[in-house]
Amino acid sequence: MKHTMRSASFAVLATATAVALAACGAPGTANPGAGGASSQSLSAPAEKSGTITMVTKFADPKYAPYFESVTKAYEQANPKVTIKLEQVGDQPYKDKIRVLSASKQLPDIYFSWAGDFANKFVRAGLAADLTSVIGPDTEWGKTFSPAALKAFETKGKNFGVPIDLDAKYLAYNKSAFTKAGISGAPASLEELIGDCDKLRTAGYTPIAFGNQYGWPAIHYITQLNAYNVPPDTLAKDYDPATGAFTDPGYTKAVDQFKDIVTHCSSKDANGVSHEAGQANFLNGKAAMHYLESVEFQALTAKGGAPKQLADNWDFMRLPAPQGAAGDAGALTGAPDGFMVNAQSKNAALAVDVLKFMTTQQNAAKLTADIGWLSPVQGSATSANSFPQLQSALADISKANQFAIWLDTVTNAEVANAYLSGIEGVISGSKTSKDVMTGVQEAAAKAKKQAG
Amino acid sequence: MSTTLMRWRSLAWVLPALVLLLVFVYYPIVDNLRLSLFSWNAFSVAPTFVGLDNYRTAFHDPIFWTALWNNTVFAVVSLVFQVGFSLVLAALLEEFVHQRLRGILRTIYFIPAVISITVAGILFSFLYNPEIGLVNRLLGAVGLESWQHSWLGEPSTAMGSIIAMSQWQSIGYTAILFVVGIQRIPKEFHEAAKVDGAGPIRRFFSVTVPMVREMTTLIIILTVSGAFLVFNEVMVMTAGGPSDSSQVLGTWLYRNAFLNDDMGYASAIATVIFVITLAIGAVQIVVSRRRRIQW
Repeated sequence: MKHTMRSASFAVLATATAVALAACGAPGTANPGAGGASSQSLSAPAEKSGTITMVTKFADPKYAPYFESVTKAYEQANPKVTIKLEQVGDQPYKDKIRVLSASKQLPDIYFSWAGDFANKFVRAGLAADLTSVIGPDTEWGKTFSPAALKAFETKGKNFGVPIDLDAKYLAYNKSAFTKAGISGAPASLEELIGDCDKLRTAGYTPIAFGNQYGWPAIHYITQLNAYNVPPDTLAKDYDPATGAFTDPGYTKAVDQFKDIVTHCSSKDANGVSHEAGQANFLNGKAAMHYLESVEFQALTAKGGAPKQLADNWDFMRLPAPQGAAGDAGALTGAPDGFMVNAQSKNAALAVDVLKFMTTQQNAAKLTADIGWLSPVQGSATSANSFPQLQSALADISKANQFAIWLDTVTNAEVANAYLSGIEGVISGSKTSKDVMTGVQEAAAKAKKQAG
Repeated sequence: MSTTLMRWRSLAWVLPALVLLLVFVYYPIVDNLRLSLFSWNAFSVAPTFVGLDNYRTAFHDPIFWTALWNNTVFAVVSLVFQVGFSLVLAALLEEFVHQRLRGILRTIYFIPAVISITVAGILFSFLYNPEIGLVNRLLGAVGLESWQHSWLGEPSTAMGSIIAMSQWQSIGYTAILFVVGIQRIPKEFHEAAKVDGAGPIRRFFSVTVPMVREMTTLIIILTVSGAFLVFNEVMVMTAGGPSDSSQVLGTWLYRNAFLNDDMGYASAIATVIFVITLAIGAVQIVVSRRRRIQW
């Protein structure tokens, strides 16, 4: 009985989607090249006036105020401009942006993850080519970290404006390491596994791990794939048109992940949320936690962490296995960014808004207000960040390349095959061979769709 | 006033509702059927006509069958608890419980129904937590450690755990509906049965059950079609995992539409859901019309 009422939101969503999509006439037809950004100059408009629509995925009360304050500041500086800012949550954004895209209601500025998610908009002609204003040789482009710019590059052209920098690190409790007789960060994956056994003996959960929705495990796999598979093969396989996933390094990566779960974590991880796992690290029950640099603030006193941990943690990269065939200098992470609608009548003004959002001052404000690293060079200083965040920025700049999140860099079918398969590896219902068979089938399907 | 004018006036009154239904219910249903014959997504420049390919894909898709099975199990369990158990609960409340206590108990049973599904989902995620969850702690306290599980984290227990939460949330609601139905039964019927020597159990089966048949039919339709439309509970607690073991048709539709960018296939799944719920509703209405009791 109650199901019907509780499913109302689903029914409404489906109905609204159908109506919205039906309004397109033919389903989901984009219309690239009909005027808009592709045929207009993107340099700053002579007179800044008009309305800009902008959709982000930063509805979280911790992050939303920053974007509100920056857009308000732009409006104050340019009284003839109105920015209609809409912020939704991470998961709802994925639905919303697709519905907006299919119903030709895409805003002037919209959020995008790097990788295939961004490339979908590029392939459909829905993302403005920003190379002339943000290319690596332009004045604006030079203000960004080159790796961040590159993450939104497709076939040599720039389609995105990076807004934050995020990388995945293994945070560790220094007291726990000392108690377990571990002198410092392990140099290899094999050493890490050995340290996990020592930590377990000392009464700790070696690595806090919650995988309720599947993505935390995918971040491990992203890093382990980069370590075990040669970069060229990885790039070929992550491209939906050429993906095969037959390199033995992929199976090795899943096996290594299984070792991590067995020695360092628990097969119960699928039933625990990432946040609940993090709580085990915060309260000192777990010695390590694999988390994103955007989450670092949660480990500080300002972020609400207990003093015992806040004064006692450091971080390292997930160590590479010895003699791995891939790139030991790759780092899991990526910038998030904004794209400009290729059909926008106000593309130049939209670019101007994004330029304002990524000034040195606003980039520093991003770090100070919400503890995120900005891709704008020199934006993190001792005045607006804490030591670990500055170390993370230094480490990111040393990385050979970003290993972009597997669930956004590759085709969704492949990502889902990984997601489902890895959950099975954790619970013990699947082997690495099962996982890779599923991934190879998904890659074949994606290749067929890509034509 | 002429009959024709009366008819037109009547039509004018129902027209707004009819237009709303046509635009927001029937048109999307028909258009969804059309869309299910295309291969397309939100980024398609050129949707291609593929005929019944999306339905063939569903037929050969093991996760589609897992989802359909999960919905079916959901429906059967919901029938047992939200119809059978709720009716018994309502009858016990009305028959044996003192007037004053009755109101308190009704409120207690009804409270879960007014809790937001997101809140209930998060609450049960904590209860099912393998490390700190109340369920595992209780099992441990009574010496049943071997029964402890990562309830939402194992393919064998995830769906059952979600179904259990859903029953907890819905039983009180359907019980209250049955209470309303039972209160409408004229007292004379029960008194006559008592005079004839019928005990409480006999009166339950011979008086209460037949007399609340219409309410039962309504609740069966809503429960079963609700079980095939289920979405929120799964999305909040597992998002269909682990390893797609708790996918239901709604979440599998969502996954294909908004994450896999396969809107055509998602439309085909939506059509399947529509056909199933329509069939359930039609069968129930036909059966209940034949067995209607009037007094």
